[in-house]
Amino acid sequence: MTEKILRSKVVVWTLLVLPGLWPLWPIFIRPDPSVTADPFKYVLHHWGFVACLVLAVVLAFSPLRVLWPKWGVAQALNRHRRLVGVAAFVYAALHLSTHLIYEGGLDLAAIPATLKTALGKPFQLTGLIAFTILSVLAGTSVKAAIKWLGGKLWKNIHRLAYVAAALAAYHQAAARKLFPMQVVWIFGPLLILEIARVWKQRQPASGVK
Amino acid sequence: MLIRTPQAWELPESAATPESLYHLSKRRDFLKALGITGAALAAREALAATAGFPSKVNAAYRDPALKPTAYEHITSYNNFYEFGTDKAEPKVYANRGWKTEPWTVEVTGLVNHPLKLDVNDLVEKMGGAEQRVYRLRCVEAWSMVVPWDGFQLSKLIALADPKAEAKFVKFTTFLDKASSPGQRQGNLDYPYVEGLRLDEAMNELSFIATGIYGKAIPNQNGAPLRLVVPWKYGFKSIKSIVKLELTDKQPKNTWQVLQASEYGFYANVNPTVDHPRWTQASERVIGGGLGRQKTLLFNGYEAQVASLYQGMDLRKFY
Repeated sequence: MTEKILRSKVVVWTLLVLPGLWPLWPIFIRPDPSVTADPFKYVLHHWGFVACLVLAVVLAFSPLRVLWPKWGVAQALNRHRRLVGVAAFVYAALHLSTHLIYEGGLDLAAIPATLKTALGKPFQLTGLIAFTILSVLAGTSVKAAIKWLGGKLWKNIHRLAYVAAALAAYHQAAARKLFPMQVVWIFGPLLILEIARVWKQRQPASGVK
Repeated sequence: MLIRTPQAWELPESAATPESLYHLSKRRDFLKALGITGAALAAREALAATAGFPSKVNAAYRDPALKPTAYEHITSYNNFYEFGTDKAEPKVYANRGWKTEPWTVEVTGLVNHPLKLDVNDLVEKMGGAEQRVYRLRCVEAWSMVVPWDGFQLSKLIALADPKAEAKFVKFTTFLDKASSPGQRQGNLDYPYVEGLRLDEAMNELSFIATGIYGKAIPNQNGAPLRLVVPWKYGFKSIKSIVKLELTDKQPKNTWQVLQASEYGFYANVNPTVDHPRWTQASERVIGGGLGRQKTLLFNGYEAQVASLYQGMDLRKFY
């Protein structure tokens, strides 16, 4: 049943779009003064959070399939890898655009200066590099790109997603004055799955029927 | 002929906000206005210092160009890590049984007249409360404008009569793990400690607040009394003080203990000295929508405080 639902593109699209719309609730529908005090900061953080979450989720698809190859849910999820991966890029792009617009106080002419500041600060630079990687991956996500680059090169390029995840985890942790446990909840399970996957792939093949 | 140039803060009587608007006199009246009565009133009444109200507006510290931030934003967008690290948490967790009355404050250390007294008695002793409108600039690059009620810190220090060796004031906040989820978690090194050089503490701007907008200060804003040093980043303005200690050694403030490369002892607002992770050149205005404004040296209080730091390298003493 679950796998049938998860096979549906409409369901996956809905699951990807809804979290991005969440800020409408505390800003407009049931205004929360702690959010309306600085609504764009809230949106900035929220979209960054969703970008990290979606990235961690899409990276979990493949280890899930390796660990439980016969599990229908894992198979269903892997059909949507490209869509979910592109969604992570879209949220990262929304997050960065909010930063660029807001940091300059709506002044578009201030964007180059804001980018220059970002290059000089490891906290901001890591986020920027992670975004650049996601842009390359999104740009090469079309079928034609696989043909053009060749499967092996394409695959190696797309392994950069793990680098992006590590940078995003650092970036998210450094966004607060104290270490936010959120980072552990988002990226911790992924790390465990990846370790399990590597461990399983190193097992001698003899045990497999 | 004497030509008198009006100071930036001077304003005609007509420009003053009517008293009735500014303070709904006592906390009780405010709560009544909100419709909180009976048991709810009794329960909330015992939360903070109520002496000294109504306060008198001190026009000398009320720049007419400053537009005070809405009360609901000031009291629901808080950094008070004792009650959670998210902005919305202190309003919830600081009002779950944490008792801020009765509250005793002591002034100790290198003083000729050590003091230990109830906060309401202290306000009476200081001659009641006055209202000043100050800018507040957080190290996280956001700002508010707050009408504080309270008294000038120098009055309290003078009462204790510092000894000649006293060079610094060390402020300590409460320690009560049962009431403070942050202190139970140990998210910072508690109790929270802050410090000022004695001449900074004696500056006319240094203020002890017991109220906001003419009402007793809410728990989430540092009831029943807190420091306000408007030319420094907000973390210097320690909340819910229990002790002031005059000392000859520079105190180590809590944020400096946590990360000395990012948070210094002075923490003066300075648009040219960045935080290692973000710029301090401009600030987001709370309640101002998309508004962003340039940050001013010493948060706009250069005339009053620049002399304190003459000859000092502000990059080194950040």
